[in-house]
Amino acid sequence: MYRPKTLEDALEFLSKNAPDVKPLAGGTELLVLIRDKKITTPKYLLDLSPLKKQLSYVKIEDGKVRIGATTTLYEISRTFLHSDVRFAGFVDTWKKFGTLAIRFSATIGGNVVAGTQYSDYATLLLAYDATVKAVSSRGERSIPLEKFILDKRIIDLRPDELVKEVEFAIPPQGSSSSFVKFDRRELLIAGIITGAFFLALEEGKIRDVKIAFDMVKGKRAPARSHEVESFLLGKTFSEDLIEKAAEEVLPTYMERITDWWTTAEYRLDMSKVALKRGLLKCKARIEKGVI
Amino acid sequence: MSFKINLKVNGKEHVLEVPAHERLVDTLRYRLGLTSVKEGCGRGECGTCIVLVNGLPKHSCLTLTATLDGAEVLTLEGLAPEGKLHAIQLAYLETRGVQCGFCTPGFMMMTKALLDTHPEPQQEQVKEWLSSVLCRCGSYHYYFAAAKLAAKYIKEGKIYLDEKQVREKYHMKVIGR
Repeated sequence: MYRPKTLEDALEFLSKNAPDVKPLAGGTELLVLIRDKKITTPKYLLDLSPLKKQLSYVKIEDGKVRIGATTTLYEISRTFLHSDVRFAGFVDTWKKFGTLAIRFSATIGGNVVAGTQYSDYATLLLAYDATVKAVSSRGERSIPLEKFILDKRIIDLRPDELVKEVEFAIPPQGSSSSFVKFDRRELLIAGIITGAFFLALEEGKIRDVKIAFDMVKGKRAPARSHEVESFLLGKTFSEDLIEKAAEEVLPTYMERITDWWTTAEYRLDMSKVALKRGLLKCKARIEKGVI
Repeated sequence: MSFKINLKVNGKEHVLEVPAHERLVDTLRYRLGLTSVKEGCGRGECGTCIVLVNGLPKHSCLTLTATLDGAEVLTLEGLAPEGKLHAIQLAYLETRGVQCGFCTPGFMMMTKALLDTHPEPQQEQVKEWLSSVLCRCGSYHYYFAAAKLAAKYIKEGKIYLDEKQVREKYHMKVIGR
């Protein structure tokens, strides 16, 4: 394990020992993966805790919301992201993510880098069209989150790069988001399916809508459902429209899998329910102005 | 590779030389002999290994000790001074929740963190915080009551109680009937 003093120090170590290093933030996923031998035990761990002061923040800058990579979910819950209705999805996700004790350690960067269908915050950030900022000793690079998560556990991050922050544009007034996760229990669940929804209305018309699911067609990792979005965009919001989007449009662009947990048919059905409930929740939130 | 770190455990300073891969649960149990810290699943699911690091709950099975230089750790042993019982401990005793007892340290540490941040917790908050720990005897209902009773004791100023007095009071008695 290496304990860097500054970010530059960490990046230098990373570039020197590139493929043999794994950055360690919250450890709630990485240490379990190592323990279960799902990944080869890395030669070095790069301890990010000394960089906590530098990389833990939630702030608004240049019209964008920026969240530092090592910000824990608990730290996020103490910020404006949990009080402003435009970010209501963060409250939903917080309530459904692991257990409370896990949320004290788990970080936003770790969730994005994990890149699996269980990355709830990655799904939510997709609905905000977030961008990932990666740094290396060669410089900085911005990657749209959608292109960052390529497939299950495959991400567009070079071995000598470190995720520095996640950013997204401040949503306009009259918008809100929601996050839906179904399973048999309330807590500590992987979620049969999850869905994140962002909606912006203008005089009853859908000005902006973004829909992300834990998996969509051809990708076993969180991704956007663009076809359903473009079907909804510009139309007047009504329950009939949502119904049509869920029953007719969604199934053609959604592919669900059967595993030991449940069947693809059930997953697809629940995706429809998630879409309907999620969007209706967004609308209710926009109207009431409270989470 | 090993690391020299400063760790304050239950108010006592320690200078430890630990290998990079050593987990906090092992340091606490096998180096410092604090056996209240239990290892259940070892993957952050059961919560029996929860201790407070810098005042916040943390799964000690998912924490590498070497990352904790300068941190403050509190385990159940450090909840009350020698010869005393903390109000939380008495409340758990009196609400007779403990069955096999394996999960109790995790629950008590979660209760401590809860009462530190919410001195007068609502039922929902109690549920949210204590749901981090799994109890396979199913004593949740009793633990929820315990957390509320502990909050009441602390509010009344009865934070530390004399262990001897409590022992005498409940000697040979079936608690809660």
